[in-house]
Amino acid sequence: MTLTAVTATEAPVPARVRRTWRVPPTVVLSFLVVALVVGWSVAPGVFSGQDPVNGVPADLFAPPSAAHWFGTDHLGRDEFARVVHGTASSVSSALVAVLIGLVVGGLIGLLSGFLGGLVDTVLARFVDVLLAIPSFLLAVVVVSALGFQTINAAIATGVSAVAVFARVLRSEVLKARSAVFVEASLVLGGSRAHVLLRHVLPNASRSVLQLAVLQFGLSILVIASLAFLGYGDPPPASDWGLLISAGREYPLAPWLIYAPALVTIVTVLSVNRISRWLRKTD
Amino acid sequence: MSGYGGFALRRAGQAVVVVLLTYVFTFWVISVLPGDPVTTTLRNPQNGFTEEEIARIVSYYGLDRPVLVQLWESLSRFVTGDLGVSLRSNRSVADMIGEVLPSTLVLAAASLTIAVVLSFAIAFGVHYLPRPFSTALRSVPSLFLSVPGFLVGLLLIQVFSFGLGLFRAIDTDGPVATFFAALTLGIWVSAQIAEVLIANLDHEAAQEYAGVARSRGLGRLRMLLKHLLKPSSLPVVTVLALMIGEVLGGAVITEAVFGRTGIGNLVERSVASQDLPVLQAVVTLAAVVFVVVNLLADLVYPLLDPRVTLQARPEVGANA
Repeated sequence: MTLTAVTATEAPVPARVRRTWRVPPTVVLSFLVVALVVGWSVAPGVFSGQDPVNGVPADLFAPPSAAHWFGTDHLGRDEFARVVHGTASSVSSALVAVLIGLVVGGLIGLLSGFLGGLVDTVLARFVDVLLAIPSFLLAVVVVSALGFQTINAAIATGVSAVAVFARVLRSEVLKARSAVFVEASLVLGGSRAHVLLRHVLPNASRSVLQLAVLQFGLSILVIASLAFLGYGDPPPASDWGLLISAGREYPLAPWLIYAPALVTIVTVLSVNRISRWLRKTD
Repeated sequence: MSGYGGFALRRAGQAVVVVLLTYVFTFWVISVLPGDPVTTTLRNPQNGFTEEEIARIVSYYGLDRPVLVQLWESLSRFVTGDLGVSLRSNRSVADMIGEVLPSTLVLAAASLTIAVVLSFAIAFGVHYLPRPFSTALRSVPSLFLSVPGFLVGLLLIQVFSFGLGLFRAIDTDGPVATFFAALTLGIWVSAQIAEVLIANLDHEAAQEYAGVARSRGLGRLRMLLKHLLKPSSLPVVTVLALMIGEVLGGAVITEAVFGRTGIGNLVERSVASQDLPVLQAVVTLAAVVFVVVNLLADLVYPLLDPRVTLQARPEVGANA
């Protein structure tokens, strides 16, 4: 949160710098939310002292209170503890999905943009295939082929994101290749690898970063949807989508739906806000 | 016009290639499956296949032959329009799909209609309403995009079925239940359309012709309707075509939440029972729908918008 510190200083700052670093309050809030969620996934024990797996039978279906922020479920387990402990799985699998999409899709995009010709045509058809299959349907088929586990749901989500990354990277490479400074670098004897590492990738990084953040939010939703359908780890795992799905069975304890739902929405909203901000400040 | 003919032919050829490749790709993904689900399913005593039937199905699919041969045979059957036989019910896959397709088509059509109406309403509000409302509306699409689809469905059921009693959650195919199921899907789709529409309206409003029209004293509403709306809404055709895929994918979730029958429900059942021919057929069918709709959109677009040249496909949200 050094960003807020910068805006708070009264020292004269050149106008250009000030404009770049002025962070809207909603973005600061979004970063705080993401930091909290990362905290939950790294050290859930710090944020919730209660046991997410073994409940207190006397406390079942307690509504939200000071002792149980999100209430308790049908086994008397603290819902807040379950949400916090489910974060690691929900968030890290979204991260895995983005990494798969980024690496595989990025490679396809780089190759087809850089090599062109036949390679480009073949890879473009492959990407067309990935685009033609509805992304959620693709994720469902891949996860059913791999087996119902959260990690497989993450891989499936990543596969369904490959096409988008491939497209963006390809167009970034083409944009950079037609730039005069890249031409100059090639004329001066720069190798393809040099041009790629020194010019193309740095130029593409901004739009790729923004896309990756956007896909991260989307992946959280897709993985939650897969978990909702029961294609992730079975209980007592407490992925957010699974918690919402389980909460459906107890309409008299609506907090079992609302609490994990709110956490999911606020997280994705924050991630999307950051992505939007990255695009605007570009 | 020969330029257009050539363009149409090239795009149609590409579409056919993509459909065939999709079939091959799905086959490959499904045959990655660890274990041998086909024989496990067939030998499962619950399914009550006789040895003869098993032998017939195994030889029909050529399951005793190498994967590449299987692929070739299944592909040649697909080209002639034969989608195969379900491993579960021993019925033709085409029949099973035909049975549930109307329900999903109704859902898809309703949700796309709702999405278009909703997105135009949002974009209109952003550009027509005074300050505080328009800024609030501007963040609505990103809010919609942050809510998981199944949750929208759950909330709608909670409020309108359990709370207000407008429809019974059990009576899944009634018009009111269908409307709320379509709304669940439509909200997600509308957000994506609205984002493009708002960005395009912003872009058009900043053009010189808009400034000139404003300086002539044109009112906000006439400005919006007469000048900004047409150029801004043309790209929506392309976005709408891309959204067909989202709707078909989202149907899996929506139909599960609302307990509807349909393609999505068929997918869910086939995944649970590892009914691979059905899964393969549905995925390919979805790809066919997507490819055909996008082909039509691409072919119609140059006719709608004379500014578009045929060399490049119109970039979606390029001015976003």
